[in-house]
Amino acid sequence: MGILKNILTAVRGGASEVGESIVDANAVRILGQEIRDAQDAIAKAKQSLTGLKASEIKLKREINSLESDVASYESKAVQALEAGNEALAVEVAERIAEIESEAAEKGAEHSALSAQVNKINSMIRQREKVIQKNGRELEKIKTVEQLQKATSSMSTNFAATNASEHRVSKALERVKKKQVNWEDRMEAGEWMEGEASGDDLDRKLKDAGIGATASSGASSVLERLKKKSGQ
Amino acid sequence: MSLNELAFKLNAHITAEDTRFDAVLAESGVLEVICSNNEEFPINIVKTDTQLLAITPLFNVNEVKPDKVNELNEELLLISPAIPLSAIGRQGDSYILFGAMALDTLFENIVHELEVQAENTVDVLQVIEPLLL
Repeated sequence: MGILKNILTAVRGGASEVGESIVDANAVRILGQEIRDAQDAIAKAKQSLTGLKASEIKLKREINSLESDVASYESKAVQALEAGNEALAVEVAERIAEIESEAAEKGAEHSALSAQVNKINSMIRQREKVIQKNGRELEKIKTVEQLQKATSSMSTNFAATNASEHRVSKALERVKKKQVNWEDRMEAGEWMEGEASGDDLDRKLKDAGIGATASSGASSVLERLKKKSGQ
Repeated sequence: MSLNELAFKLNAHITAEDTRFDAVLAESGVLEVICSNNEEFPINIVKTDTQLLAITPLFNVNEVKPDKVNELNEELLLISPAIPLSAIGRQGDSYILFGAMALDTLFENIVHELEVQAENTVDVLQVIEPLLL
């Protein structure tokens, strides 16, 4: 059975404090033990697999050699027949039969070894699955434990601030206020930038002799004052 | 990357959206991160053997209007799939917003996740605010 159901039962039961085991400690021990057992079994299987695989390779090489002997003797037997030496051909045929029988024996042995190698390989894969599955189960437990750890500081804070109502609303308000401030600052920054580029434009116009200048302003004021005084 | 290294890098980082981080590794082993785009709801980061968990505690069940708990749960279930990169859950009596990342997640992607999570927190709370005390 998956560990998730145990976790649900535990958290429903109120196991939310840090350090409080969220699942039966025994279940965690069993998962850990199964992982260690599977790792041991894999290590042993790999050792015996090495020996078996070496024997399998050696047998295969011997079979190949015997098969090549058979092919060689067959060609020689044909040559003896072609030469009309039937007695020699019979002798070669007997030798071929012996070699074929030996090859068949080794072939059977090889098949048995191959089957054993396959069986051990499949056992290793199964054990690896156990390791992965149990690892994932343990990860779920660790995740919930870490979640508890990360949430516990907040729970303490909540407890401290719960006396004040509308905690979330007030916090949201502060966030929004800061956002508005930030937007205002952005707007101010844009305005400043606009001003700076505007000044730049005025300077360019002045440099080009376009628009009002300080001296022309003064002379026009003087002109106006003269008119006023009737001069 | 250890949580300590992550804290160091976060403190020195400014995102394209001008978000800054204030990250402190607490004695409990929890990395507490305050994002400048939402300083009221810090993100707590923890690490397991395979993942980084970024958790934002939202509120306690006793902060929900007593007759609105079921409605709140339903609303949270409904909006959860629409929230980018984050999921909503409950840890004990606390409602949380959380994201999970693989341990080999690139720093830039962790930053993105945190920035989005800080925004998501405000979005979610604005939706369910009427159901809170």
